[in-house]
Amino acid sequence: MDNNNFKEHFLFPSTIYTSNSPAIVKTVLGSCVSVCLWDAINKCGGINHYMLPFWNGKGLASPKYGNIAIQKLIKEMIDIGCKRNNLIAKVFGGGEVIDVQSASFQIGVRNSVIAHEILRDEKIKIVSKSLGGKLGRKIQFNTFNGEVIMRYIKKINCDM
Amino acid sequence: MKIDEMSDKELLNELEKRLRIKEADNRESAKLLKQLKEVNEKLNISEAMKSHFISNITNEIVNPFTSILGLSKNILAIKDNDLKKAKQMASLIFSEAFNLDFQLKNIFAAAKIEAGRFVPEFSQVDINALIKSIINDYKYKAEQKQLNIEFKITINTQIKDKLIFITDPEKLKIVLSNLINNSIKYSNATDKIKLEITGTNELLVITIRDFGKGIQEKNIKDIFNRFTKENMQINSMIRGHGLGLSVVKASLDILNGTIDVTSKPGYGSKFVISIPVPRNIDESNTFAIDSNEIFFDDEEIF
Repeated sequence: MDNNNFKEHFLFPSTIYTSNSPAIVKTVLGSCVSVCLWDAINKCGGINHYMLPFWNGKGLASPKYGNIAIQKLIKEMIDIGCKRNNLIAKVFGGGEVIDVQSASFQIGVRNSVIAHEILRDEKIKIVSKSLGGKLGRKIQFNTFNGEVIMRYIKKINCDM
Repeated sequence: MKIDEMSDKELLNELEKRLRIKEADNRESAKLLKQLKEVNEKLNISEAMKSHFISNITNEIVNPFTSILGLSKNILAIKDNDLKKAKQMASLIFSEAFNLDFQLKNIFAAAKIEAGRFVPEFSQVDINALIKSIINDYKYKAEQKQLNIEFKITINTQIKDKLIFITDPEKLKIVLSNLINNSIKYSNATDKIKLEITGTNELLVITIRDFGKGIQEKNIKDIFNRFTKENMQINSMIRGHGLGLSVVKASLDILNGTIDVTSKPGYGSKFVISIPVPRNIDESNTFAIDSNEIFFDDEEIF
């Protein structure tokens, strides 16, 4: 399929995007993590972009938090017609772009861990990933063929 | 080593070692149990708030609807073209409908945020005009309590007469409506509300100050949580469902903004919001990566 027929979407932090028609979703990740889910048979894909691992039960239960963002993404994929058993995952982000010594911070690492844990519990296989490190990432997810193009970036004023 | 080959001392040492391991395990499981209890507690509170919210909805939505229906029926029944009476009732209908509209907008915004569909749409906004229109919306409500909304704008930009700022007007509107609505709600009658704006091309700072009820210090940290109000009683004089400030917080998150609260019971509250100009935005209103990022390596395909 010609790339010109693809819808383009920029994914903002704390949001989710799913599509059963061909789309290119772009996002920029620092310590945030994006989980891309793809159903190879129905050719549909979905992606989230969460900033923190866990919802503390207080503010709005938004997909800013990994445990909510991943569950919501899975649910939305099923809503748009995917089969749970077809789903595969690709996981990106979780870099420590802001230098922090304190181990209790490490948001990037904790964001990555929650993705592994939830996807394992949901029995969704992580087929590829690029996590951690000190650099940010720019990714481009093709919901039609499940391909993710990634570049490392050193982004000044990275707020994600 | 077999047991009968060990000396008494060795046996004792071994026992002590095992005991220590066991103790460490116990401590670990006690710690986990404590964490589990805490999570459970949070879930319980969250659930209780949700059900509180649902019963509150009745009060906040069904009751205004009932009065709107009743009042409009009364208008229909008016005889002899009594315009004065009709106007009075129409104004009551307006204020009920205005409240409903406000509540529903908050509920929809909260639902959108929780669904991950709350996306910023940036454009060039005339801040002065936007704020004036919001104040105008709340004029009637403020007049009911005989409140005076003082509005002052300081602009530090090249063009002095207008403050054009790139932001999401809808999100800013929801933030300001909530803060103004709250300050009206918690003000004492015949008092005033101060609204101050300082703007540069880079940063927008809005201060909203009321001289009303104020918030107790121990409650300040909770005001941005969903479904919480300082007074949780459903039939309290203060209406609202406790969603407003959580929507404010989430909207500001999206705009990369911050909010600071200072308050003293009996003296009023001050809310200061700061919103930076969005970074990765180009002229055409679409997201573009700014020039100060450096790429490393080639593209990798996963």
